Amino acid sequence: MLLAGALVCGAVAHTSAQTYDGPRTADGRPDLGGIWQVLGSAAWDLEAHNAQDGIPAGLSVVDGGTIPYRPAAATARDANRVNRLTDDPVRKCFLPGVPRVTYMPWPFRIVQTPDHVVLSYEFAHTVRIVYTDGSPHPLPNDFWLGDSRGHWEGDTLVVDTTHFNGQTWLDAAGNHHSNELHVVERYTPMTEYHLDYEVTLEDPRTYTRPWTMRMPIYKRMEPGLRLLDYDCVDHLLDALSEAEGGAR
Amino acid sequence: MTKVHAGRIAVVALVLAAPATSLAQDGGFEPPRTKWGDPDLRGHYLPGPYQALETPTSEWAPPEGANQGQGAAFSRFFEPDPDAPARPTPARPDGPMIIDPPSGQVPFQPWATEQRNEIMARQDQLEHLDPRVKCLPAAFPRAHLPVGYNTYQIEQGPGFILMLYEWNHHSRYIPLDDSPHIDPAIRLGMGDSRGRWEGNTLVVDTTNFTDNTWPVGHGAPPEGAPGSALSTGHGVFHSDQLHVIERFTFIDANTIQYTATIEDADVFSQPWTLRYNALQRAADDHMLFEYACHEGNGRNLSLMTGIDVEAARVHPIP
Repeated sequence: MLLAGALVCGAVAHTSAQTYDGPRTADGRPDLGGIWQVLGSAAWDLEAHNAQDGIPAGLSVVDGGTIPYRPAAATARDANRVNRLTDDPVRKCFLPGVPRVTYMPWPFRIVQTPDHVVLSYEFAHTVRIVYTDGSPHPLPNDFWLGDSRGHWEGDTLVVDTTHFNGQTWLDAAGNHHSNELHVVERYTPMTEYHLDYEVTLEDPRTYTRPWTMRMPIYKRMEPGLRLLDYDCVDHLLDALSEAEGGAR
Repeated sequence: MTKVHAGRIAVVALVLAAPATSLAQDGGFEPPRTKWGDPDLRGHYLPGPYQALETPTSEWAPPEGANQGQGAAFSRFFEPDPDAPARPTPARPDGPMIIDPPSGQVPFQPWATEQRNEIMARQDQLEHLDPRVKCLPAAFPRAHLPVGYNTYQIEQGPGFILMLYEWNHHSRYIPLDDSPHIDPAIRLGMGDSRGRWEGNTLVVDTTNFTDNTWPVGHGAPPEGAPGSALSTGHGVFHSDQLHVIERFTFIDANTIQYTATIEDADVFSQPWTLRYNALQRAADDHMLFEYACHEGNGRNLSLMTGIDVEAARVHPIP
């Protein structure tokens, strides 16, 4: 009871600290519609890291600085890091998983209806359909991007994602998870130009406790902006045909 | 030159015929409307019953016992669910999808016919293999032709339509405005679309395509038809000059008729038009599943082409 009380108080404090009251949809929700993108270097490494050739340095986006791996999972992360140029699933053009897809360095579009929030990402034309109609996670299937069900807590869109296949990474530095991953994302509008993005990851096989990352998501403001193509498979086939010495 | 001239005459004829055609298409059915007054396309849809793209060049018939109704594109893969509620059988017009030219054939320029034959003869080469098999985009109208596993979700708001395609998790955001197409230097697998309403018909104009997709092609060609049969549409290619005008019209509460006019002066001798009852309203509990196309496709491609696709790497992040 005490714990529950503390959690509720925490949630209320979080919500009341946020005083921005922006545009709303016809059903009274904050209107998140538009094209958004994360800046920063979480895509390369969620934890604090120095620059390398082609990789910008970055502060940690993880609360407390480091991901609380179990010992075997930490060893696996280190091996991933060594072999990242061949083993990173994104380098094979596999879907990037959640939450990695959010902070890949490409924009994404949010389209919002009373029953769904559709997230369309420029990277590999990835799509997430977040059901906000109160429906539960449906089936025992597993997915690269998991199954996402959302609800509103005040002006925060809360997205609960489970049913992962365990084959995705969290960044290009080898941070990872298992198929027991449970992700809770919180999208809170803070100004006209940015959302607060807070993600809690729970995976008892990989981590010693749930942990949280947070970063802003920025609105892209260019007039006439639209999502363009980054068709990863197209580039992969190009690379193959160059290796074969001919046109695709 | 004569053929090019004939093509231009055909364009004029099409333009003149368009208003009458669209009136006939509406068929008097009044679709439900959104709160903001547009015809309401929102919902989940299955592909329509299969139908030959072109006038077949050899005899073929639907397979024994094939489901000719709802979700017929899947009938080669799944048994019909005996417990499924009865649904009205969608209209399946006789004849090929291609309604213009009247021959029902894709009007290739002569060189393009040779190129198509070359493409179909070399399906064991990665360069020529069906782009959908390689998990490249479907382009249009192919994304609306019957393909096993493809289903659709349409979302809509004031000023836009969002079409979601289960197959290979494609989507297209269609602004409903008269803004110009994007810079011709930009090329997109699913093109750059603008939409407008003509009465109850959604008209979508799409350009800026790449040149490495196929505009048509059945995922589920008529049973017994070889891949190279004209009735499959396989091997029909296009240049980056492709321009597609699509028309979506409810002909009854459960069926959206789809008409697409395909222009590409570099490949075809005239614009051509197909019509197909492409979208059949799905059951209320339908949902789009994740279709991770490429993720399981490497071994498939390797077996077909002899190239070790699974060894390939790209570097989207340095």
